[in-house]
Amino acid sequence: MSRVWLVLYLATWVLHFVLVSYVLVGSGYALGQSLRGRDDDPLAARIRDLLPFMLGCGITAGVAPLLFLQLLHQERFYTANLLLGPRWGAVVPALIVGFYALYLQKAATTPRWRRLALAAATGCFLFVAWSWTELHLVMRDTPSWVAMYAAGERFYGQSGVLPRLLLWLGVMPVLFAGLAAWWSRGAERQRLAVVAFVGHVIAGVAVAWLSARGSSVDPVARGWLYLLIAAVVIELVGWGLVLRRPDGPGLTIVTGAATAAMLGLAIVRESPRLALVTARPAALEASGVWVFAITAVFAVAAIAWVVKTIRD
Amino acid sequence: MTSYPVNEFGPLMKGLVIGGVGILHVFLAQFAIGGGVLLFAMERRAQRGDADARRFVDGYFKILVLVSFVLGALTGVAMWFTTIQVGARTIGLMIDEFHWLWATEWVWFSLEVVAGYAFYRFGPTLSDRARIRLLGLYAVSSWMSLFWINGILSWQLTPGRWLEGAGMWAGFFNPSFFPSLLFRTAVALTLAGLVSCVIINTMDLDRARKQALISRAAKFATPIALMPLLALWFLAVIPADSRAWLLGGSMPMLMFVGVAAGASTLIGGYVIVGLVVKRLYINAATALLLLALAFGATAAGEFVREGARKPYTVRGVLYSTSITPAEVAGLRARGAVVDDPYPLRDQHRYPNDQLVRGAKVFRSLCDACHTMAGANGVQHLVATWTDDQLRLNIAKLQRTKGFMPPFAGNAEDVEAIVQLLKWERARAPAIWPMTTPPAQVQTWLDEAGIHPAPPLEAP
Repeated sequence: MSRVWLVLYLATWVLHFVLVSYVLVGSGYALGQSLRGRDDDPLAARIRDLLPFMLGCGITAGVAPLLFLQLLHQERFYTANLLLGPRWGAVVPALIVGFYALYLQKAATTPRWRRLALAAATGCFLFVAWSWTELHLVMRDTPSWVAMYAAGERFYGQSGVLPRLLLWLGVMPVLFAGLAAWWSRGAERQRLAVVAFVGHVIAGVAVAWLSARGSSVDPVARGWLYLLIAAVVIELVGWGLVLRRPDGPGLTIVTGAATAAMLGLAIVRESPRLALVTARPAALEASGVWVFAITAVFAVAAIAWVVKTIRD
Repeated sequence: MTSYPVNEFGPLMKGLVIGGVGILHVFLAQFAIGGGVLLFAMERRAQRGDADARRFVDGYFKILVLVSFVLGALTGVAMWFTTIQVGARTIGLMIDEFHWLWATEWVWFSLEVVAGYAFYRFGPTLSDRARIRLLGLYAVSSWMSLFWINGILSWQLTPGRWLEGAGMWAGFFNPSFFPSLLFRTAVALTLAGLVSCVIINTMDLDRARKQALISRAAKFATPIALMPLLALWFLAVIPADSRAWLLGGSMPMLMFVGVAAGASTLIGGYVIVGLVVKRLYINAATALLLLALAFGATAAGEFVREGARKPYTVRGVLYSTSITPAEVAGLRARGAVVDDPYPLRDQHRYPNDQLVRGAKVFRSLCDACHTMAGANGVQHLVATWTDDQLRLNIAKLQRTKGFMPPFAGNAEDVEAIVQLLKWERARAPAIWPMTTPPAQVQTWLDEAGIHPAPPLEAP
């Protein structure tokens, strides 16, 4: 059963990550355009319009991995929560402020207010991204727990957190561009291709930084690493095609390759924790999986109906 | 037994922290659930030609999204994080036992969000048929998320046949499942009716048209009339000791029961007599006042529901100290803190090892419900007790107060915490003598036993 939890955890985490990537990078992109005096950029306007909806979906999608994480790594997750304490708890108020700021930027009647709202939202979401990266590392670092608690330390060693955070901040623009490009055409797609290339450069710098610090990929995940590398190469080719022919097949290639890359990346990310999974007997024996499965099938059908309804 | 690090919240009792977040979340979530049903009914009316009902639906939905989808959803996440801070083992046990049902609840919530956002964004451009279907899906999804979470929460107080090994479904459909579900549904509809009275007042309509809308919306608050019966049903199915504790055994709990009942009676009286029977007009200020009363009633009701579980967080399974009944015997033998790897953060403050041990015992066994000198402060509670009273009352904790768990430590732990309380009472002097526990302490511990205290039989 713990394999089922793992699969569901990874699938829902990827969904959550794609959506929040759109929100974080989208907020930053809209802010950048506004600061450059380009509030009337149709691409930025479309992104701004979708931000609250995407955050709502991203947060909702994020509840599921949070649930499965508590099954896979209960003791580690709870201990890391407790060690970081109120500093970790601040992610919730930050999300609330960020969420309302996204509504505020939509309602703003002056560029100044829009910039303020977008800056506040971007800052809040960056804080949440940094906090999650930190929590992830605290979870893994069992030997540091007692000393961290004794010292009352609410911040985990930032030398490990920053390159990892940079890696995710590099992946996010790629996903954002891949998603936003489906609602764009022509020159807008080309601009998004540039955003994706910038994301790849940032991610590359982060990988180099992590390698220099001695980080390596768990041998269990080597095959998935090769998939990831191959998918990234194909994705870069796809973005190249988008640059040359924005409305050609490039975006389809990008989407397929990015999906494969995210699958590989999620597994590579998770691999160091696989040996740490501790399944408790009570959890393994819990019933109700069929209720969940039937409800999930119904929900997928219902969501498909909702999408069809609003498109018609 | 897993030991987790413990955070303190200064003068704030942990129950106040989780209570504050929980009450806000419950209030917003119930408002969203009732709102779904109300909007569905109003939309049906709108489609029969009532243009004001259509304007109300579109206006109300914006409020629902802005308040409930943002604050409601995120306070739900906050509930998880706060529960981890307050009782990590409790939430872990609930997740282990009910994770598939929790995942099911999440699926319904996701559907609620999708249907809600679709209506929020595209509602004005959709056909009547699509609108009513979307609202129907939204209303059903939001109520279903209540259905699933209600079973998990009510299990904490009344696990029923689950305790005898009858399985998860016996725990889910536990004795307080249906009274809780119907009670919460009635509360949700009442809240939706009250919020709609506020929103109608903000609409640009003349008074007669507002009054017409208010009369219709107020009907949704009428299930409040059922709440006394549902509350009696709830009281009838909860354990006898919890019932006694709510109905006189504890003055604060009785007061909260009274506040919840009194506020609900006032709201119910106004709604049924004033708004439904007399068809009075209600302005925004009065509607807000009723809503504030409803918040007070919700707060008191949630406090009662949480308090009724004492000394457990999951009845018969886990004490409020995050210790299981089966673990008490081992801790009596080995000591309360021998398995706790986490040192004190303020160890330098204590002049000897016995006080350090006392502080660790306090952190393990008292900190979940008490502070030292703040809210529910032990210093205040024991201020007049003599040394032997302290030893006796702590050793026989479940006899001192029936809602306290048995003391999960040995005689040295009792003595350590007694010395800590005396030292704090003496304003933390730099020098403090070490003591050994009198032999009587072990006798008291043995007499008290390791189980919760049943009421003594009459002679």
